[in-house]
Amino acid sequence: MTFFKKEKSEFLNGNKEIAITNYLTDGLLVFNKESKLTLVNPQAERLFEIIEEKVLGKSILELSRYERMSPVVSLLGGGMRPVNKEEIQIRESLILEVTSVPISKNGERLNTLIIVHDVTREKLADQMKSEFVTLAAHQLRTPTSAIKWSLKSLLQGEYGDLEESQKELIDKAYETNEKVIELVRDLLDVAQIEEGKYLTKLVLTDVESIIKSVLDSRKQEIEKRKLHVEFQRSNTSRIMIDVEKMDIALVNLLDNALRYTMRGGKIIIELNQTGKEIEIKISDNGVGIPKEEQARVFSKFFRGSNVIKMETEGTGLGLYISRNIIEAHGGRLWFESEEKKGTTFHIVLPVKERFGQFLTGEFY
Amino acid sequence: MKKVLVVEDDKFLRKIIKRKLSAEGYEVLEAVDGEEGIRMAKGKKPDLILLDLVLPEITGFEVLAKLKEKGPVSEIPVIILSNLSGVEEIRKGIKMGAADYLVKAHFNPSEIILKMELVFGKNKK
Repeated sequence: MTFFKKEKSEFLNGNKEIAITNYLTDGLLVFNKESKLTLVNPQAERLFEIIEEKVLGKSILELSRYERMSPVVSLLGGGMRPVNKEEIQIRESLILEVTSVPISKNGERLNTLIIVHDVTREKLADQMKSEFVTLAAHQLRTPTSAIKWSLKSLLQGEYGDLEESQKELIDKAYETNEKVIELVRDLLDVAQIEEGKYLTKLVLTDVESIIKSVLDSRKQEIEKRKLHVEFQRSNTSRIMIDVEKMDIALVNLLDNALRYTMRGGKIIIELNQTGKEIEIKISDNGVGIPKEEQARVFSKFFRGSNVIKMETEGTGLGLYISRNIIEAHGGRLWFESEEKKGTTFHIVLPVKERFGQFLTGEFY
Repeated sequence: MKKVLVVEDDKFLRKIIKRKLSAEGYEVLEAVDGEEGIRMAKGKKPDLILLDLVLPEITGFEVLAKLKEKGPVSEIPVIILSNLSGVEEIRKGIKMGAADYLVKAHFNPSEIILKMELVFGKNKK
């Protein structure tokens, strides 16, 4: 024990730093190069319910004996993997954000600092916010359903024939109401994503069939705007997918390509598999995304400054939702774009053929 | 003529869907809350039930649980027609034996009828 006490003071290099670590609001653990614990501050003692005297000198693996430490040990992979602000839920009312920083000198790792920040309150506020959004959105749904159903009945001539001008007006009203319904759906999707509850029904499916149905649903618009759409496919494995959600993700991406490509433009969709990854590429020769705005593309309510002027529809939530859906499947979504030349979105999905392969992920 | 029971507390929605169903040749039974829904399901033996979830007194899930207890009514296909669309509600509804789960705001009356026909088609064999 005295050995570690000595090492601790060496690490801290004097009393001033000890005082600092003691008064930090975040928990701090320091491991030496043998992965043994050499420092634990009072906040960390409190958060993990451990006592300095009992844990100093213990290896990271030995610490997993302590109930609250064990999720942290798993997060660090039992070793000293660098981790940046990853969240772990210790119990219902304790959510921690963990960062692990290796400290090296001349390429040799000397110490590892583990910083633990209590984010329970922020998480609770987030949850309340998303519960509020969910409630408000549901309240909007009954009236929008009533409007949708009655306008559709009118349009289908169930209440008598309509004159062309009446039909046009009701058609417009119906489409406007659809926008509200779409926004409500997007808001609810975002709230669910933020609550971490997202995928519902995972089924072994081939991606090609989803792309085909998505293209099919947009056939009219493609024809109307004389867009050239090409689908180049090669055979891919069937993978576990939440079809309804993946449909939303791909519709959002295709809709962007359709909306932001001028009449007569070209859209190419490619589907390929390399090893254990399926890649979908959606390229257009549309308006592109201004360079200075590219970093914000996946944030909520983002809309490009060049497309706002185009009088196109869009809630600014589509790409945020798409990215979350794809990531929930263990995949990745990114893009390349040049203003006035076009945009290419890349979607990569890992080949997961069994439900069990999701259980190790973060979605259930 | 096939009988459809609509369990829906919103009068206006009930009126629109009833009109559409009648026009398509269905006999429509209406229930304004869960208790009435269960009573009518047992008494009138409809061929299909459209069930809302947010209802006064007992919820649609409680109605579904009662309907799916052993007995002749447990065979009647139930389509949940609700504006709740959470992951948990959908999973729960399907797990409890609903034949389908439709979000009201995402389907027109005529599309709802298409979904009903799919369920009837499945049950024919």
